[in-house]
Amino acid sequence: MNDLFGNSKPTPKPAAPGKNPPRQVYTVSQVNTLIKTALENNLPGRLTVTGEISDWKVHSKGHCYFSLKDQGGVLPCVMWASSFAKVKFKPENGLAVFATGYIDVYPPQGKYQFYIERMEPAGVGALQLAFEQMVKRLEAQGLFAEAHKRPLPKFPERIGILTSESGAALQDIIKSIFDRWPCVRLLFYSVPVQGEGAAEKIASAIKDVNRRNDRLKLDVMIVGRGGGSLEDLWAFNEEVLAKAIYDSKIPIISAVGHEVDTTIADLVADARASTPTKAGVVAVPDMRQVLEDLENKKVCLNRNIMLCVQYGGQQLDEVFAELAKEIKELLANKKDKLHHFYEEVVKIEPHRLLGRKTVEINEFRSRFNAAMAVGLNRTGLLITAQENRLAGLNPKAVLRRGYSITTLKQTGAVVKNAADVQIGDDITTELAGENLIESRVIKK
Amino acid sequence: MAKEEIKNDITKLGFEQAIKELTGIVGKIEQGEITLQDSIQQYERGMTLIKHCRKILQEAEKKIEKIAEESSEQQK
Repeated sequence: MNDLFGNSKPTPKPAAPGKNPPRQVYTVSQVNTLIKTALENNLPGRLTVTGEISDWKVHSKGHCYFSLKDQGGVLPCVMWASSFAKVKFKPENGLAVFATGYIDVYPPQGKYQFYIERMEPAGVGALQLAFEQMVKRLEAQGLFAEAHKRPLPKFPERIGILTSESGAALQDIIKSIFDRWPCVRLLFYSVPVQGEGAAEKIASAIKDVNRRNDRLKLDVMIVGRGGGSLEDLWAFNEEVLAKAIYDSKIPIISAVGHEVDTTIADLVADARASTPTKAGVVAVPDMRQVLEDLENKKVCLNRNIMLCVQYGGQQLDEVFAELAKEIKELLANKKDKLHHFYEEVVKIEPHRLLGRKTVEINEFRSRFNAAMAVGLNRTGLLITAQENRLAGLNPKAVLRRGYSITTLKQTGAVVKNAADVQIGDDITTELAGENLIESRVIKK
Repeated sequence: MAKEEIKNDITKLGFEQAIKELTGIVGKIEQGEITLQDSIQQYERGMTLIKHCRKILQEAEKKIEKIAEESSEQQK
């Protein structure tokens, strides 16, 4: 007799009454072994089965136990953790899949099972294809062009968030922004992020916000949602949303799904955050870094102002040294002249006038010496006083001393050299107390 | 009086404008293309700008508001 699969096997004959035929008795294990052999001999070593997932369970060790079913029946399935680790999507009940593996018997429970090695969602091929075709088409239309991307503001003051009210993405985005940059106002606009019509609703929300932005005053917008299956994210792959993002005058940051997900919205947006939790990194600066930068600027200003003052002080030193030298020369010159007159006077009538004139001359000489002493002393005091004031390094005091700053009226540039001006130029001279004189260059 | 006016004018600045002006001032003083008198004035302004920026950051409250949808019929 041939068994179910056409194999010739020694089959136990039914016991005939009256005789004592050799009765073959199989143990349970033997039967299971027979079935196992029968399956091995008659089924392909590997097969691909399509069906819907049901009774999905993941064991604590990571092995998966579930069934594939269709209208006609159910096939018990096992997927070991090592194989399951390679599955990129999240299996769930009702999801149609293609599963590849082998059928084997599980003797402890006396049942056959489908041991799945690879599994992919049925129909994702079609979505994937649609996605790739869309990328090509929109790319040809220039929707992803770098040149079209609007720059993001460095310190945004008002940020719009377009996502679902119920999703975790909203809180993730808010936290990621406020953790880095608390001085910004967030404006939340609730939109559905999956399901029928979601793409249209997000697109019209983007248009709505753009239309009202003279009042909303958004500097940038974040459009996104949390992770999910390709189907869940599909709204962000639709052309209507891509066009709305492209047309938005407000720069848009996309923040869709997990790091590995790339959507059309990511490609067309002005900037992309890999997940909603990264939105803050893209949208706002880090307060700690900005404070550090401010501190650096302060140090820089302090250092440079010291240099400026030192340089100004040095210039003053040079001017006063020159002045002191000139005054000394002037006095020496005067003294020489007086001495010369004195010599002349002595020469005129030395005998006749000697007695009377000597007295006069001596008197004159002592008065002169006294006057000189006072004069020199005063000059010395003047220089000392100036040096003391200089030590204060107060550059504005220069003007009070009679110095002035001359600037070209037209440009405001300081005139340091005659070559800096042309005849006919108007110049402004600044004196102490912010008094100004305007003049015109007539000669140089 | 003039100083008060300058301060008032700075407190009205947004963070971005303040940082921009501050960066300009630091650059000008650094390059020395500025008279001593101006540099002192600019230095004072720079310090006031830094104070203003810190104040914006420290006093920031985390504000969130909701935008309601406005149907396009309401638009003209």
